[in-house]
Amino acid sequence: MEPSRDDFVIAIRSAFLKKDNQQIFSLLSLILFSIIFLVLGNFNLKVINFNRTIIKEVVYISSYIASVPENIIKKSFNKISNHFEYYDDYQNIKYEVEELKNKDLLKEIIKYENIELKKLIDDYFIEDSQAYAKVLIDRESPFLRSIIINKGSKNGIKIGMIVYDDIYLIGKVVEVNFLTSRILLISDINSKVPVSIQPLNIQAIMSGLDKQKGKLQYIKREKLINNNSKELTVVTSGSGGMFKSGIPVGKINSTDTLENDQIIVNFYRNFSQLKYVKVLSHIKKDTNIDQSNKNFFEKNNDQLLKLSNEIEVNKILKQQKFIDDKIRAKLEIENTKLRKDFINIEEKLKKINQSLDRNKNIKFLELNLLYGPKCRKSFLRPNLYKINTVEYRNCILKKGLIGKI
Amino acid sequence: MVNANRKTESFIYRYAPAIILFISILNEINFNNYEIKYFSFNFAYILIFYYSLKRDGGIGYVFVFISGLFNDVINGTPMGMTSLCYLLLCAAAVYLRNITLRPNLFKDWIFFLITILFLNFITFTYLILFFNYETNYFDQIINISFTFLLYLIFSNLFKLFDNIILTRLN
Repeated sequence: MEPSRDDFVIAIRSAFLKKDNQQIFSLLSLILFSIIFLVLGNFNLKVINFNRTIIKEVVYISSYIASVPENIIKKSFNKISNHFEYYDDYQNIKYEVEELKNKDLLKEIIKYENIELKKLIDDYFIEDSQAYAKVLIDRESPFLRSIIINKGSKNGIKIGMIVYDDIYLIGKVVEVNFLTSRILLISDINSKVPVSIQPLNIQAIMSGLDKQKGKLQYIKREKLINNNSKELTVVTSGSGGMFKSGIPVGKINSTDTLENDQIIVNFYRNFSQLKYVKVLSHIKKDTNIDQSNKNFFEKNNDQLLKLSNEIEVNKILKQQKFIDDKIRAKLEIENTKLRKDFINIEEKLKKINQSLDRNKNIKFLELNLLYGPKCRKSFLRPNLYKINTVEYRNCILKKGLIGKI
Repeated sequence: MVNANRKTESFIYRYAPAIILFISILNEINFNNYEIKYFSFNFAYILIFYYSLKRDGGIGYVFVFISGLFNDVINGTPMGMTSLCYLLLCAAAVYLRNITLRPNLFKDWIFFLITILFLNFITFTYLILFFNYETNYFDQIINISFTFLLYLIFSNLFKLFDNIILTRLN
């Protein structure tokens, strides 16, 4: 036991106290340093705090310097991954743009068709005059909801002109002075606007109810309740010729309709916040179709037809391409299968040929044993054949029956 | 030129472990605080133990001491805590080297496990008793386990690195 304890002590002493040439401190002294650091760290001594601050400064600066390569790598990696993401985004956007272009084209076609049809039914309005005005007075009367704008007859404003906020209907001009005009808002109880509820295409009359709401009259509630769409859009119907058709007015919430007795329209615009408005008048476009117009329409129609056809053809071609791709893929699979089969058959054929050759050889050898003397050239039979010649082989295979003997 | 190359290689051989240790600590790539769930290990423990065991003088006790202080500052643990652990790890490795006649990787491995268990025991005892630190024991077990398991891989990598440099030097 004594020597083993000595070994242990020597090993421990060597581990803790031995110093190499290049070591300034022994392990034990450094461990003691650490313990002193730890113990003194518990007391709030100025010297320790000062040392700690210096070490922290050194560490933070070193850490910053040491992390430069890592940061460069990280940044480069992020850059590369971002580039890949951008590429993917680009591909997606490209695809979306293509789709949108197609949709836009369809929309354009529908728009032109709509214009053509409206012209045919004499319901196509074009802008006659347009003026932008500032709202001067916003009257908060409980009976009359109207606003005063800073444009009048001097600026070409006339009674009956339609007033917009952006593209939304807000009212019509009811009084015109030289420099100002009065606009009756559609939220006024006296305002009656013929409207159409889309997409159900139900006609009704809307009158004002509240600052932000209107109510529908002369309409059956059941018609609205029995629909599946959550939100219905209210646009002007154009009946009566007061308003141009298709101007957006507001929305109907189906759940509100179920809860209330009245059918409420929520306006798109807040009428108490109006600052600038657009005053427009519309006139019907002259629809006397003369010969040149007819030609123009026909040309236009032809182009529309062509475009529609092209879109159809494009669709068909896409489908065809899809089918072709599928067929090609199938054919490729079959081709590989057939190739494999062909290789297998070739191998089998080779084997069969080899076995046939072998059989022939065996047969030749058998016949050789029997008919060899009849074909082999010898001293007594000089007219016969030498062994291993073609003639000899033929002779053997014919069982020696040749006329030479 | 040849002499300069030899000098560089000799410098790399001598100081590469210390440089790697400092880089790993300053860059916080000791895999101790990574946000990977159920995976963490203490790279510094493996590095210090291996080189203290295999090289006379190891990485350099002063370097180990300073790296421990740096780690404490970065991690916010009490100053001297990590230094003490690192130096105890050095002491354990040197003791193992002194008592070993025929080096065996498996024995080193088991001794390493015992050492890191002891060091973690000291650390947590100190942190919990004196500083009221809250620790997740499950995470610590995972850390110890991976440190123990990865010692084999890293010891082979370090051995390969040493062999390459030594072959060039000779």
